[in-house]
Amino acid sequence: MDTIILDNVLPRVFAGIAEPRPSEVWSRRVELHRGHTYLIEAASGTGKSSLCSFIVGLRRDYEGRILFDSTDISTFKPSHWAALRRTSISILPQELRLFPELTAWENVCIKNQLTGCQSPQRIAEWFERLGIADRRDTLVARMSWGQQQRVALVRALCQPFDVLLADEPISHLDDDNASIMAGLLTEEARRQGATLVITSIGKHMSLPYDQILHL
Amino acid sequence: MSLVWKLLRQHISAPQLLGFFMANMLGLTIVLVAVQMYNDIVPAFRGDDGVLQGTYLIVSKHISAASPLTDNSSQGFTDEEIADLSRQSFVARVGAFTPSRYRVAASIGMGSQRVGTDMFFEAVPDGFVDADLSAWRFDPSRGEIPIILPRSYLAIYNFGFAESQALPKLSEGVVSMVQMDIRLRGRGLDETLRGRVVGFSTRLNTILVPESFISWSNDRYATEPASPPTRLILELSNPTDAALPAYVSEHHLDLENDRLEASRATTMLRIVAGVVAGVGLLISALALYILMLSIYLLVEKNTLKLQNLLLLGYSATRVSLPYQLLAVGMNLAVMCLAVVLTLVVRSRYLDLLWQAFPRLQEGAVMPTIAAGLALTIGVAVVNAIAIRRKIDALNAA
Repeated sequence: MDTIILDNVLPRVFAGIAEPRPSEVWSRRVELHRGHTYLIEAASGTGKSSLCSFIVGLRRDYEGRILFDSTDISTFKPSHWAALRRTSISILPQELRLFPELTAWENVCIKNQLTGCQSPQRIAEWFERLGIADRRDTLVARMSWGQQQRVALVRALCQPFDVLLADEPISHLDDDNASIMAGLLTEEARRQGATLVITSIGKHMSLPYDQILHL
Repeated sequence: MSLVWKLLRQHISAPQLLGFFMANMLGLTIVLVAVQMYNDIVPAFRGDDGVLQGTYLIVSKHISAASPLTDNSSQGFTDEEIADLSRQSFVARVGAFTPSRYRVAASIGMGSQRVGTDMFFEAVPDGFVDADLSAWRFDPSRGEIPIILPRSYLAIYNFGFAESQALPKLSEGVVSMVQMDIRLRGRGLDETLRGRVVGFSTRLNTILVPESFISWSNDRYATEPASPPTRLILELSNPTDAALPAYVSEHHLDLENDRLEASRATTMLRIVAGVVAGVGLLISALALYILMLSIYLLVEKNTLKLQNLLLLGYSATRVSLPYQLLAVGMNLAVMCLAVVLTLVVRSRYLDLLWQAFPRLQEGAVMPTIAAGLALTIGVAVVNAIAIRRKIDALNAA
């Protein structure tokens, strides 16, 4: 997949509002190109998590069209979505969506077993680099939100991807850890020639963004 | 243990599944016992070794008050009616009774003391005769007529007439040695032949002579033209066939010996087995409902986990599989236990049946196992489809 096109997309909850906030994304045509890095800045409640959910096919309550290359994603069947989520689109959701009853390592393995993308050594190296190696066998339920964000990032990297959506990935991280995370993200995105779409409500990763869009 | 199963087994309610297990086992066992009992008991009503022996039936048309007194032809069976009977599934073959159409008188005695009576003869095809057929031939040149009498006649004489008159009782052997004079009159002829009792029949309640003799004698003495047969003997291929009493009733036939018990008993057994199996099926259906509710509840409680797995790229097929295997596995376990329970119950009732019917051959077990397997597969498929639909609904949310 080379391009994601947002063609006049607007969450249904915003439709019909008399004086909508000005936006560079909603109700416009936006193209996200392969290999580029985008920052979507937004205030709370402006729909950035909704945008991520629309793009990964989790929600369909929007008007307009979202195209992967030239195909409208509303035509995709569940089996096609499953294949895309294994091989083409990766997401680091704001709510992380980790399994609290599994350990940090198991949360990553449950994805990696599916894709067979990364070696255990590579994953262990990432755990080390992100400073969570000592929490590897800890249940996620007993980890801090910042630690969980790092586990979720490792999990998001355990698959081949054309685009990686990171929804407020460093909201609970200090600058050092945010920097390590940004380095890892950029490294993997470059290696795969993938698009990075980062959302932020203020604190954002320092990356060489190709475009900053205000939602 | 698979990580997916580790996640999805959360919230499984053991008491709910145990409830399904016990209820379905009870229901399926009742169904299988009903099927097996039916298979075991039906042979008791069927065949020569059965309880209700007699695969032969003698039928005539019902004589009502409105029947013409003089016209015998309306009481006779036409060729079409005989052909129709032959075509019925419960009939193996049909034979007609051929009566003598001339005057017959028999007498026995020694010296000048003779007793005699007017009588008649009938014949059926030799294959229907239930006596030793070695002497069952008529040779006009020898002039001796073999006769078979109903065994009941001898019983009436021995236990009715002989006892009351202080006369000696006669064995079948003694009767066979008695020579009778048979006087045949018709068409201007008056001839006397020898007659000899060559056997006794339980099946045929008439004075029976070989068919060859009836043909010969009717040709020689008959004064009236041949009329359609008024009585038929049927060999039944399946006396338990429910179509038999229906046919008899529909065509207003009279039965000489009411041998429809087998058919009626089988119909009753079929109804009872059907009701019992119906109750079992109802219990199984309720158990299935419990299982489906339980799995639906499980899916509801694990909705977030399932959605997260789908978001990771797990297919609906892969995510459905653990619950489908759980349902199918439970159904198979229930079936195996139900079959074992059925065999245990069967061993108990077979002992009782054998006391009543020592020659009874037990029915096959395979149809019961096949029925259980078919039910289980059907239920498992319904379960698997319902679970998949529930997961698909999450995917489309």
